Amino acid sequence: MAQRGDTSKKVILGILIIAGIAIPFFTGNFIIRFFTNALMFAILASAWNIIGGYTGYASFGNVVFLGIGAYVSAVLMEKGGVPFWIAFPASGLGSAVFAVLIGLPVLRLKGHYFAIATLGVAEAMKALVDNLDITEGNSGIYLPVMNLSVKAQYIFFYFMMLGVLALTLIVTYVMLKKKLGYGLIAIREDEEAAGSLGVNTTLFKVTSFALSGFFSGLAGSLYAYQQGFIKPESVFDVGVTVKMIVMAVFGGIGSLLGPLLGALSIEIISEVLTNYFLVAHTLFFGAIVILAIVFTPKGIMDIVSGRKKFGLNYLLQNIRDHRV
Amino acid sequence: MILQIIVNGILKGGLYALMALGMSLIWGVMDIINIAHGAFIMLGAYCSYWLFTLWGVDPFISLFLSIFFMFLVGYAIQKYLINLVIRATIFITLILAFGIEIFLNNLALVMWTADVRKVQVPYGAANFNIGTVTIPYVRLSAFIIALVIAGIFYIVLNKTRTGRSIRATAQDLDAARLVGVDVAKTYALTFGMGVGAAGAAGTLWAILFPINPMMGGILTLKSFVVVIIGGLGTMFGPIIGGLTLGVAEALGSNWFGATYENLISFTILVLVLIFLPRGILGKRE
Repeated sequence: MAQRGDTSKKVILGILIIAGIAIPFFTGNFIIRFFTNALMFAILASAWNIIGGYTGYASFGNVVFLGIGAYVSAVLMEKGGVPFWIAFPASGLGSAVFAVLIGLPVLRLKGHYFAIATLGVAEAMKALVDNLDITEGNSGIYLPVMNLSVKAQYIFFYFMMLGVLALTLIVTYVMLKKKLGYGLIAIREDEEAAGSLGVNTTLFKVTSFALSGFFSGLAGSLYAYQQGFIKPESVFDVGVTVKMIVMAVFGGIGSLLGPLLGALSIEIISEVLTNYFLVAHTLFFGAIVILAIVFTPKGIMDIVSGRKKFGLNYLLQNIRDHRV
Repeated sequence: MILQIIVNGILKGGLYALMALGMSLIWGVMDIINIAHGAFIMLGAYCSYWLFTLWGVDPFISLFLSIFFMFLVGYAIQKYLINLVIRATIFITLILAFGIEIFLNNLALVMWTADVRKVQVPYGAANFNIGTVTIPYVRLSAFIIALVIAGIFYIVLNKTRTGRSIRATAQDLDAARLVGVDVAKTYALTFGMGVGAAGAAGTLWAILFPINPMMGGILTLKSFVVVIIGGLGTMFGPIIGGLTLGVAEALGSNWFGATYENLISFTILVLVLIFLPRGILGKRE
C-alpha cells in the first residue's frame, strides 16, 4: 500500500510540474491570471502548513505576513524609489523579522490562545497601517507601473509565483529531512517531551514561524506589484487567513503537497461557483467549507495518494471518528 | 466631559459583556471558538428589525422572541453539525464555525441586501441628566438587560440540573458521561444558550446602532477581546472584560481619534494575552 501511495505521489508531482510550466504558453491571459492567484494561495497555504501543520500552532493571523510583504514593497518602491529586485527579498525578510519579533512573546501561548493572539496581531497591524502616514492610511497606496507588455507581465508574475511556490516546497522538503523538521513535529506531538529531550523549542518554533512569514511576505510583494494598488483591508483580510487554512485542511495538513492540492481545488471550485452564481457564490463557498470540514476533516490527500478508498464509507467513518 | 465619556463607555461595555457572555460559555464548556458568533448577533438584530418593521413589535418585546428563535438555531446547528466534528483537532471546529459565518452572512446578504437599516423607535432619543452627564434611556435599558441576562445565566448554570450537567461536561467529558449526562444534548443546550445570548445582544444592538448583514465580523473580534480580557471559566469575566473594553475604547477614541478604536482594542487583546494569558478573573493553573 505504501508503495502504491509513493508512486501515485510521484505521478501527481510530475503532472503538476509539467502542467505548471506549460500552462502560460497554451492559455489566455484570464487563465494565467487565475492560476497566478491560485499559486499565491498555494504559497500561503504551504507557508501556513509549516507553522500550523508541522509545528501544530494554528496561526489565525498569517495574512499579516502577506500584508507586511505587500506594504514593504509598496513603501520601498513608491516612497524610496527602490527597484523591485531589492524590494522583493526585502518584503520576505521584513515579514520574517516581524514573525520573530511577534513570535517570541506569542508562541508561548497554546491552542486557542495562540490562534486568537495571532488574529489580534493581524487586526492590530491592519488598524495601524490604516492610520499611518507613510502607508497612506486607508486610502491605499499605488505602486510604480511595470515597464512590460500586458501579456509579458502576466507571464512574469505567473512564473514568479511558481518560483516562490517551488522554493517554499523545496525548503519545506529539505527542512523535514533535517533536525529542524523532526524537532517541529516533536513539538507538535508533545512540546514538553520535545523540550526535555533537548529540542530548543523556542528557537525551533520561532524559526518555523519566520519561515512561514518569509514565504508569505514574498507572495505579498508579488501580489502588491501585480495589483499596482493595495489597501489595508484587502491585504490584511481575515478571510484570506481562513481561506489558506481551509485549503491546507482540505488538502491535508502536515503533508507536503496537501496545501497545494487544496489551494488548486478550492480555487477552481470558487471560480466555477462564481461563474454560475454571480450573487450567491460566497454562500455556496460557505456551504462547501462546512461540508468539506464535516466529511473530510483529514483532507483529501489520503484519497488522492491512494492510501484510502473514497466512498460513502470513508465519509461516514470520518464522522464516526469525531462526533460525540 | 471625561465623566460623560466614561459613562458612555460603561453603557456600551454592558452590551459588549452580553455579546461575550455567549461566546465565553461556548468556549469554556466545549472548547469551541465560535467565529460565527457575530453572524448570530446579526441574525438576532434582523429578527427584531423585521418584527418591528413588518408588525410593529417593540424591540424590547421582540427581545424574547429573538432569544428563543436564536436558541433554536443554535441548538440545531450544534446538534446536526458541530457535534459531528467536535472531537477532531481544535481548528477543525474553528474553520467549521467560519464556514457557518460565511454561509449566514451571505444568506442574509442575498435575502436582505447590503442596505444599512435601523430600528426607528419613537423613544430612541429620550434621555435624562445626572449633573452634567446625559444618559439615554435605551442605552441604560440595554445595559440593565445585559446584566439581567448575565444573572439568569449565572442562576441557570449554578442552581439547575441542566446547569450542573453543563458544568460537569465542561470539567470532564468522560466522567460526565459515566454518571449519565447526555453529552450530545448538553452540548446542544449550551450552544443554544450561547447563541440565544447572541440573539439578545443583536436585538439591543439593533435598537442602538444601524445594522447590515456584514456587521458580525467586527463584533466577533470584539467578543474575543472581551472574553480574553475577562478570562474564561467565570460568569463575571465577560462583564469585567466588557466594561474594561467599553471604557478603554471610549477614552482611547477621545484621546487618539475614533479611527484608532480598533487599534486600541486589538493592542489590548495582544497585550493581555502576553502578560495576563488567563485574563483578569481567569483561574490560575
